[in-house]
Amino acid sequence: MKTNENSRREFITSGLLASLAIAGCAVKSNPFEPDATAAVGVQPTGEKVKLLSVNGEVIEVDKAFLKPVPDLPTITNAAARVGIAGKKFVMVIDLSRCKSLKKCQSACNHAHQLNPGQNWIKVYPMQDAEHTAPYWEPTTCMHCDEPPCVKVCPVDATFKRQDGIVLIDSDRCIGCRFCMAACPYSSRVFNWEENTTVSKETAAQPYSCETSIPQKKGTVSKCDFCPDMVRKGELPHCVSACPNGVFMFGDILEDTVTNGTETFRFSELMRDKAGYRLMEDLGTKPSVYYLPPVNRNFPYENKEETTK
Amino acid sequence: MKKHNLVSIALILFSCISFASFAQTAAAKKDLVVKLHYFNNNNQMQYLVADTKTKVDGKFQVVPGVTLRFFISGDTTAANYLGSCVTNAKGKALLLIPALAKQEWNKSAIQSFQVISPATKEYEDTKADVSITKAKIKIDTLADRKITAVVMELKDTVWTPVKGVDLKIAIRRLGGDLNVSETQTYTSDSLGMVNAEFKRDSLPGDAKGVLTLVAKAEDNDTYGNISAEIPAAWGVPTTYNSPYDRRTLFARRGHSPIWLELMAYSIIVAVWGVLIYLFIQVRKLKKIGLSA
Amino acid sequence: MENSTKQQIIEDLLPQKFGKQGKIWVVGLSLLCILGAVAYVRQLSKGLIVTSMRDYASWGIYISNFVFFVAISLVGSLITAVLRLTNVKWSTPLTRIAEIIAVSAITFASLIIIVDMGRPDRFYNLFIHGRLQSPIVWDVIVITTYFFISILLLYFPLLPDLQIMIGLKSKTSNFLHKLYVFLGSYWKNTPQQIHISEKAISIMAITIIPVAFAIHTVTSWLFATTYRPGWDSTNFGAYFISGAFLVGAGSVLIAMYVFRTHYNLQKYITNDHFDRMGKVVVMLALLYLYFNVNEFLVPAFKMKKPEEEHLRGLFTGEYAGIFWFAITTAMIIPIVILLFKKGRKPLPAFIAGILVVIGSWFKRYLIVTPTLLHPFLPMRDVPESYKHYFPSWEEWSIAIGSLAGALLVITIFARIFPIIPIQETITENEQHEKA
Repeated sequence: MKTNENSRREFITSGLLASLAIAGCAVKSNPFEPDATAAVGVQPTGEKVKLLSVNGEVIEVDKAFLKPVPDLPTITNAAARVGIAGKKFVMVIDLSRCKSLKKCQSACNHAHQLNPGQNWIKVYPMQDAEHTAPYWEPTTCMHCDEPPCVKVCPVDATFKRQDGIVLIDSDRCIGCRFCMAACPYSSRVFNWEENTTVSKETAAQPYSCETSIPQKKGTVSKCDFCPDMVRKGELPHCVSACPNGVFMFGDILEDTVTNGTETFRFSELMRDKAGYRLMEDLGTKPSVYYLPPVNRNFPYENKEETTK
Repeated sequence: MKKHNLVSIALILFSCISFASFAQTAAAKKDLVVKLHYFNNNNQMQYLVADTKTKVDGKFQVVPGVTLRFFISGDTTAANYLGSCVTNAKGKALLLIPALAKQEWNKSAIQSFQVISPATKEYEDTKADVSITKAKIKIDTLADRKITAVVMELKDTVWTPVKGVDLKIAIRRLGGDLNVSETQTYTSDSLGMVNAEFKRDSLPGDAKGVLTLVAKAEDNDTYGNISAEIPAAWGVPTTYNSPYDRRTLFARRGHSPIWLELMAYSIIVAVWGVLIYLFIQVRKLKKIGLSA
Repeated sequence: MENSTKQQIIEDLLPQKFGKQGKIWVVGLSLLCILGAVAYVRQLSKGLIVTSMRDYASWGIYISNFVFFVAISLVGSLITAVLRLTNVKWSTPLTRIAEIIAVSAITFASLIIIVDMGRPDRFYNLFIHGRLQSPIVWDVIVITTYFFISILLLYFPLLPDLQIMIGLKSKTSNFLHKLYVFLGSYWKNTPQQIHISEKAISIMAITIIPVAFAIHTVTSWLFATTYRPGWDSTNFGAYFISGAFLVGAGSVLIAMYVFRTHYNLQKYITNDHFDRMGKVVVMLALLYLYFNVNEFLVPAFKMKKPEEEHLRGLFTGEYAGIFWFAITTAMIIPIVILLFKKGRKPLPAFIAGILVVIGSWFKRYLIVTPTLLHPFLPMRDVPESYKHYFPSWEEWSIAIGSLAGALLVITIFARIFPIIPIQETITENEQHEKA
């Protein structure tokens, strides 16, 4: 457990540590230099980078302490299966803000180089009953805490990590599609053929569970919560692509979610807006929460219906 | 000098995803719009971020895969060259300001940077610059969960407090910063100072309840993006026991529930015990037959 | 006198060379197999895109066919084990037919499931990365087990017959003689051997019943462990097993008729056999009908929202045609035919058997496809072709090829080995005459 705590702190405060390391190894010019005893966790690589401080002094920073994070070391398959220690990712989708622009979808498709026509993010026109209000409902993978897809996978090709993310190892998947049958949210897609739209360079890359690239023929894929982006301290592609801030992402252990421009306390958001999860009765315990479509930013307009 | 260049080139924010799919064979070269931003984290780490965009069918789109060359001050001479970087999938290129810029940087309290995109097959050559007054923020915590921050700019050679700068006081969070109270921004007074109160009760911190507080000025016309951080043990100590190692139906191989293993293995042993017994009987029959 | 009857029995039951009809049959089946193989090669090179399966209908007739094969293979345990344990003597001539159907079906069940895989080249992952939590791994384990027990249950009673065949060197080809010698030259009919063999057969007859139940229950769990309407049922294990016994018994009726007429075995597979087997099929059809009523009436009474679309699709919607066809052909018409004594004559019983098997195949199709095309969330953001499923020619070729392959295995087995146990028939005949 101790190692977990260490690495958790490492993740959260790496920005802070960067400054500590600088103060420690170079010029002690900062009068507000924080207490150096807080420095724990990050293992220096020994590789120093010379940078220029605002005071015009040359400082040496160990590569491990750099923030923003430069080129990250490639995550091994074993590390990608375990996940980021001390994190538990969560997404909030605010239905009152969605007008089905599908920017999330195109950004996601582009970033993950999906087969044309297939989508990880789907935006449903929903109407629960005849006299209830219609609304748009974007869905991602729910990254369930009790994922039915993972239960049925015969070869550990899809797995639940310690940070709550459910990923797929396309180098392991045998293509039995049991997980697709098991998922009640229809969030999984299958690579029925070789993706011809993908570039040669990408196709030649080794597969990474965290980027889900390159997609491989005969295997299943789905929304991955963009752990590669999270490792860099950035938000998943759908979150940053949405101009209306529908998607919010964060760490439930920090009790915070953000869409990039606004940041909320997760618990306050749930409490004040009565958040809920999809198909709670199935007991899958999703990591994606929804805010109901009340006090909407946009009126519901379904262009497909009017053109039909 | 070469070595530093290489290091800075290596400091590309993202591992580059393929860009070839973007290589369009446009007849006419398109205009590339580049914007340059200056960042100063914690008064130590300084870096530049360039955004690239182009207009496609009347809409702006980011442009990945463009090589950008960064320079300090107005001259794009070899002496002022800081390094180059390729824009990532989001059309951004990031360059940490290397030590070799020291001489030029120390010349003046007001500095400028330039970024150049040489002409390519698709895009016209273009450039952008940013000019900033050197500034820094000092952040400190006081008793009763109060935070103070001071903004100072460099006037000639003296760090002088500045009035009227908008600062955000927030808690560092994954992907974004959570304001410490309902107040969105604080404006510095004549002493360059802002005072904020920490109102996020029972906010989870790390295992010791430590939070990282940050004071920052964003996209300031004069100073660019400057920020400073300080830790404060004002959060609730939080540890997380992931169910990752628990024996569950959704756990990995070798972590199935005991009841399942007991059931499965006892059935397998029983049935295969019978099967092995039967194979032994076949051998026995053979032995008897051969000796008869 | 006694000796001459024995000679006559051996003479009658010896495997026979293919006649003209037989040759046409074998060539026809082989051609179908080759067509299936060609289609599979196409699928291997292009991927599952050659099928009509897509993200919603992610399983198709390969899986229906798999369920069908597993179902048919249960007949081995029904005829050999259940009837043997209940001391039913009339089933003796049918045991080998049932067992070879079982072995052949379970073999092709395993093959067709590999055909359905997106990455058959990674089949070994099941062994090096297998997760005990997954019902697929349970299925792999029980199918392997069932295959071996079925092979043994085929092999032990074959030993005395092999000895007879070895003794008739002049009547068999050189190659077959070598095969018989290789398989059973050590059988000397000593009392000790007979004792061991009989004991082993009884043990197998008991063991194969739970294993047979396990293969089809686990197969039903591939569906029932998901949430989907039409699959989310506690009834599924029993529903599948009753259906499996029915289709297995139906296929035995067909095989009985074909072997009887083709090899002139009227003396051994008698009208009485058809009469009794017909009664068994009626009972099984009624049982399956009972489970069907449970499976559809109970959810239809409640009409929960996710179930509603699925059930309406079956009862009156786009699948109504196939649904009512399957129910009537697999159950209602065979029950009506076989309830009458005249209907249990060989020819009508044979026709009833064919109806049962065809209806059951479509029943398996209905278990897989409509459910997948009625997901919880509506079908959305996919190409139009993803919203429907009709198998492509590659799928049909492979499915038909696999059925032809199973028939071919049975045919070749009957060419090589006596399809009716010679030694057991002789023994029973002796006992009968003594009594």
